[in-house]
Parts: sequence; C-alpha cells; structure tokens
Amino acid sequence: MSASLPTVTLQSGTPLPDSIRSLLGLPDGPVFEFIAAVIASSVIAAALLGLVAVSGIWGKRKITAAFTDRIAVNRHGPFGLLIIVADAVRLLSKELIVPDGVDRPAWDIAPIVMAGSALLGFAVIPMGNGLQIADPEVGLAYVFAVASIASVGLVMAGYSSNNKYSLLGGLRAVAQNLAYEIPLIITAASVVIFAGTLRMSGIVGAQAETLVSVAGIGIPSWYAFVNPFAFVLFMAANLAEVGRNPFDIPEAPTEIVAGWQTEYSSVYFVLCYLSEFIHIFLGGAIIATVFLGGPAGPVLPGVVWFVIKMVAVYLFTQWARSAVPRVRIDQLIEIGWKGMLVLSFANLVLTAVIVGLTV
Amino acid sequence: MIVVSNPWIAIGALAVVGVAIPLTMIAVSALLRPSVPEQGKRAVYESGEVPTGDTRIRFNIQYYMVALLFVVFDIETVLVFPWTVIYRDAVAQFGMGQVLLPMLLFIGVLIVGLAWAWRNGAVRWVTTPRAETGQSAD
Repeated sequence: MSASLPTVTLQSGTPLPDSIRSLLGLPDGPVFEFIAAVIASSVIAAALLGLVAVSGIWGKRKITAAFTDRIAVNRHGPFGLLIIVADAVRLLSKELIVPDGVDRPAWDIAPIVMAGSALLGFAVIPMGNGLQIADPEVGLAYVFAVASIASVGLVMAGYSSNNKYSLLGGLRAVAQNLAYEIPLIITAASVVIFAGTLRMSGIVGAQAETLVSVAGIGIPSWYAFVNPFAFVLFMAANLAEVGRNPFDIPEAPTEIVAGWQTEYSSVYFVLCYLSEFIHIFLGGAIIATVFLGGPAGPVLPGVVWFVIKMVAVYLFTQWARSAVPRVRIDQLIEIGWKGMLVLSFANLVLTAVIVGLTV
Repeated sequence: MIVVSNPWIAIGALAVVGVAIPLTMIAVSALLRPSVPEQGKRAVYESGEVPTGDTRIRFNIQYYMVALLFVVFDIETVLVFPWTVIYRDAVAQFGMGQVLLPMLLFIGVLIVGLAWAWRNGAVRWVTTPRAETGQSAD
C-alpha cells in the first residue's frame, strides 16, 4: 500500500487526503476534498482497527499469560492468531441484553461517542510517509480536546445503565479524568516551549536535530531525551487518562464488576472495548509524536517506526496492568491534585527558565 | 501542484467515518445476533442477586469542589498554551524578565488558590468517620 502512496518528507509533508486527491486526479473544491478525506480516513481507521484487533483480542491474552506464567490461546492457527477472527464473529453475534430501566437513547449513544472520539484524535497524528489526515495549526490542543470527549461518553454510560456499579464506575472515571487532564496538558505545554508550535508536524520536525553524539552515534533531540522529567510525568498521567493500573479504578474488576461497562453486552461491549484500546493507542500516538520524534528512526520506513513506538507504549500499559497494584480513589485524587499538578507546574516553570536562559 | 485542502474538512470526514464504523458494526450485529427474551434476563446486574432499590438516588459525588477547581485550571491551560507557543521568540525579542515574570505571577496566583483549597480540604476524599478510624463494619 505504501508503495503506491507518494512518499514526501515530513516537514513539507502533504496530508494524506491531498495525496489521494492528486493520485486520483480529483479537482479542487470542498466536495472532492471531502471525498478524498473519507477515503484517507477509512484507510487509517481500518489500519487502526486491525491493530486493535490484534492487540486487544490476541496480544492482551498472550501478554497477560506471559506475566502470570501461562500459555494462553495457541490452538487456532499459528500462535493462536485465528482467535482474532473467531472472537470478532463470536462477540458480534452475541445476544444484546437491554436491562430494565436503561435510559435508551443515552445508553445506545454512549459507546458510539466513546469509539468515535477516540478515532477522531488520530486526525492530526503524523504517522510518517505522508500518513496524516490533517495538519491544522492547533494540532496538539485539538488532540487533547477530542480525546476528552470520551469522558462525556463515560458519564452517559455510567448514568444511563441504571446499575449501581456502572454509576460508581462512571463517577470514578470523571473524578480521575478531572484530576489528570491538567497535568497531562500542562506537561505537553512544556514541550511546546521548545518546539514553538502546536502543529503536530512542526513538533516532530523540531525533534529532528541531533542532541549529542556518543561514539559516532547521534542521539536525536527527542523531547524524551531533552526533558526526561516531562516524559515521565506524561507517561504517568497518560496511564490515568487511559485508565490502566495503577489508575484503573473506573473499572476495577475486583471492586465494581466492570465499572461503567457492566451492563453492556454484544456489539456495545465490543464498542466499549474497542474505544478503550483505541484510546490506549491514541495515548501512544501522542507520546510518540510529542516525546519520541514521531516517525523518525533509522533504516526502516517512518510508519514502521511510528507503529513500533505506539506499540511500545501499549506494552508499557499492559506491563503496568499486570505488575502495579491499584490505588484507592482517595489516593488517586491526592496523587493527582497534590502531586502531579504541582509537579507539572514546576516542570513548566523550570522548562521556561531553562529555555529562556539558553535562547 | 495540488492545493493543500482545508484541514477541518478532512477532520470532519474522519468524524463521519468515526461514527459510521460503530453504526456499521451495530447493523452487522443486529443481522447476526439472536433475541431470546426470558423472564429475569433483563434484570440489572448485581452480582447475581435480585436488584435492591433504584439507582437514580441522591448520591454524594464527592468532587463538586474539585470540579470547580478543574474549571479554573482548565481555563488556565487555555491561557498557557499561546504563551508557550510564542515564548522562545518573545524571549529573544524582549528578554526573559518581561516574558516570564507575568506568567510566573499568573501561575503563582493559581498555586496560592490551590494551596488554599488544599488547606480547606477541597481535594480531600470525604470518608465516613468509621473509615477514618480504620475500623471495619463488622
């Protein structure tokens, strides 16, 4: 597929819809731009769904099994990979049980809101080799804005289910998102001080220079190396944002069944599950873009490096899920408001001072 | 050479695709799945017990004050973002004092506010006296 796409350099990269438009010979104009963008979006979304299917259905089981010294799926095809097909069909063909007293429109819309908002975040992510749907000037602010729409879906799901566990899970999810959204955004803002732009391709471009050369190998000026403190803060806040251990209290299977998704079955369960994994990968995509140089890397094509970095963040969340104990809700609020928030402001001010002194 | 199109048209297209995918999945599932209504199947899940009481009750959501704080800090992040974008150029042009000090003052006011809320227990999870003393219910 990537062979047929015109490869372009990243700084002066053409967004994917425009590449498709020139490939198909479509003229200018909003209608044709929209058609080309729908094709581009479908390509990106299909690739993401494939990644989620592999990691969510097969990878998660294998990883958890490795952590708990088990084997997990290995009977369906090589390494049990065909379980992906079997599970997709199985989950879609389950009976949908609508519990008594659910708020019908809200209960149906919530999974669509969650899945849709997670996908929407990928619009501005530069994935290398010209695979970027759009590159607006406010890219970084946009990606945080749409990623937090999912909180609305969580509240809808939690409240409309008419289930006590769902209500508790929904309320916990909001408390968590309130506490960790600001450290996340302020830490990202400290990176913008270096880059001087919110445009995602600009942030990637600013990380292209070599920071130091060690024994002939140049270490790139990825912001994870330039500002490791911000990187650690962001990784921690991101765990809370995607709801993985130690911050998985919105679901907390041993406390409140499955939290806000307790009453969802069949295709709605698939959508909830899907949105969670797309969110994890969106978090990985943001980290890769902002801290790990986006698609930059030697030898392999950019998009391969981008996927490697995104999957690395996914593996980190799975490691945390298996290895780190859960914090209590009161501890979570205190860590967020008294710890992370203060640290993120300290990071912002320190970064501003250091950058100011070196200009 | 083709003109780079409006990015918001492309984002709108992704929004359409992002809604169309879940809707398609729901439609496919509706064709595949059985529907076998049975007595008691629709009861809300309470660990296998018969559900007690209603969920739509008055409930202490705990974070009313935290939510107010969030609004303050969220607006503050909106104001910090433009400052971070122009920071480097502005320092080169006007010097560090003029660019950094106003923002330090601004963040300082917010930190004082946070400290005040902290002292007044606004970011503290309210627990029952029983939980405070560490005694269990039974």
